Amino acid sequence: MATPTVPPQPAPQRRNARLRLAAAVGVAVLAVVTLATLDLPSVERVATGITSNVPPILRGLVTPEWSLLPRAIAVMFETLFMAILGTIVGGLFAFPISFLASGNLMPSAVLAYPGKVLLVAVRTFPEILLAIIFVAATGPGPTAGIMAMGIHSIGFLGKIFGDVVEGIDPGPNEAIRAVGGNGLHVFLWSVTPQVLPEFASNLLFRFEINLRAATVLGLVGAGGIGLILQQRLQFRLWGEVTVILLVIIVFVIVVDALSARLRRALA
Amino acid sequence: MQASAALPARSAAQRLRTTTTLGLILGAIAVSAWQTEFSLASLVLGTVDFVEFFAKLVPDWSYLPEIWGPLLETVQIAYLGTLFGALLAYPLLFLASINTAPNRVVLMVTRSLLTVLRSIPDLLFAALLAPVLSIGPLPGVVALTLFTIAVLTKLGSESVEAVDPGPLEALRAAGATRNQTIQFAVLPQVGATLTSFLLYAFEINVRASVVLGLVGAGGIGQDLLGRLNFFAYGDVSLIVLATFALVLAIDGASIWLRARLI
Repeated sequence: MATPTVPPQPAPQRRNARLRLAAAVGVAVLAVVTLATLDLPSVERVATGITSNVPPILRGLVTPEWSLLPRAIAVMFETLFMAILGTIVGGLFAFPISFLASGNLMPSAVLAYPGKVLLVAVRTFPEILLAIIFVAATGPGPTAGIMAMGIHSIGFLGKIFGDVVEGIDPGPNEAIRAVGGNGLHVFLWSVTPQVLPEFASNLLFRFEINLRAATVLGLVGAGGIGLILQQRLQFRLWGEVTVILLVIIVFVIVVDALSARLRRALA
Repeated sequence: MQASAALPARSAAQRLRTTTTLGLILGAIAVSAWQTEFSLASLVLGTVDFVEFFAKLVPDWSYLPEIWGPLLETVQIAYLGTLFGALLAYPLLFLASINTAPNRVVLMVTRSLLTVLRSIPDLLFAALLAPVLSIGPLPGVVALTLFTIAVLTKLGSESVEAVDPGPLEALRAAGATRNQTIQFAVLPQVGATLTSFLLYAFEINVRASVVLGLVGAGGIGQDLLGRLNFFAYGDVSLIVLATFALVLAIDGASIWLRARLI
């Protein structure tokens, strides 16, 4: 039996294929130019870096410094608490702003634009950048990290909350108005019950993201496990770095799994 | 009718559930606030300090010519990281999707590896790689490559698993190999979505590469940290403004492209 062959593609698809090929060539050329102009270290330097660092790293990986474990777990709990508070602060502010940024709740869709623009502006700053500014403004410590995560979360949560609010069923709103309810009644008994489960689910999702973010905020002095990691990295104490990394990985995976289960229960 | 209508009473079970949930959330907040010494006062004071500090940040435009190079490097790192990450992620994501994986063992092994990869933030990769690959853009590119793999395999395998199984079965019934099935039944269904994810990953990577320099992995973050250590707040605010403009421009271009793709 002859192997089946695929029939040739029709003309529009062939044109698309040519377009894709052109895009791929463009991407590849740009990559070569970028590689050529980027300030990359010489091959010898990378080779020395690898040969002088990899053996001690491997030694650290197989002989973790377990004495650091209690300290690492304690600091990881602080990181977890920072993520919880950062998410709560973000959610508290995002909640009212998302209503102001929703076209269907504002008297006119145009009035929702300032809220939307504010949320885009907030979202643009990475939390670590905000953390640097907070550390400079209020001093190092977990508070700076919590505020940075909180502000960044406002941008993310406000956007998603706004999308949820714009997608609600208008029927209950009209029903409440029809029986004489005012704006507050509509908000309390129609909008809130409809959006609350989705808000909660997205809050949990943001919490998962914030937990990862919180582990690195310490690199700039904003509290959490990143600080002790930074110190161990500077002194190349790879056995201790291994323990810290293990704690981070296990924590993030366990919290992710719990949070995902909770989110499924909410959906 | 004038009497206000009363709402039906909620059942005891409902009330108990609401109370427990609220109690748990408030308890978590209380414990967190106590352990991190965070309070409403610090929230207010922090905001006041932040606003005051922000008001002091008047951009020093004379510094502008010096940031074009680092800004370009930031985009270059994001570009290469996204590209290499995507090249590695696409084969991997078919091994991590239940309907395209060759067998269960490969599926489970790939998924476990990707779960571990996903639990490590990009900046942590950069911090770990910088001492090994020497300070500069190289550890940044490698860190973003790993991060892109984590992002794209997660998003990609979700959409690959959601494809219509009909065409896959038809091709398998006709004796197609695994690669042929992927090429002719899966890719036509998810191609546009995967490309859109690629652009999305690039957006995330630009944001990430802005701060990679904080741990010595190249880009404008290095300059930011340097100016900050010298308390050169005029330069700092110019850098912040420039990254803001850069991220907005890249986001805008990427959103425009993504809208045309789907």
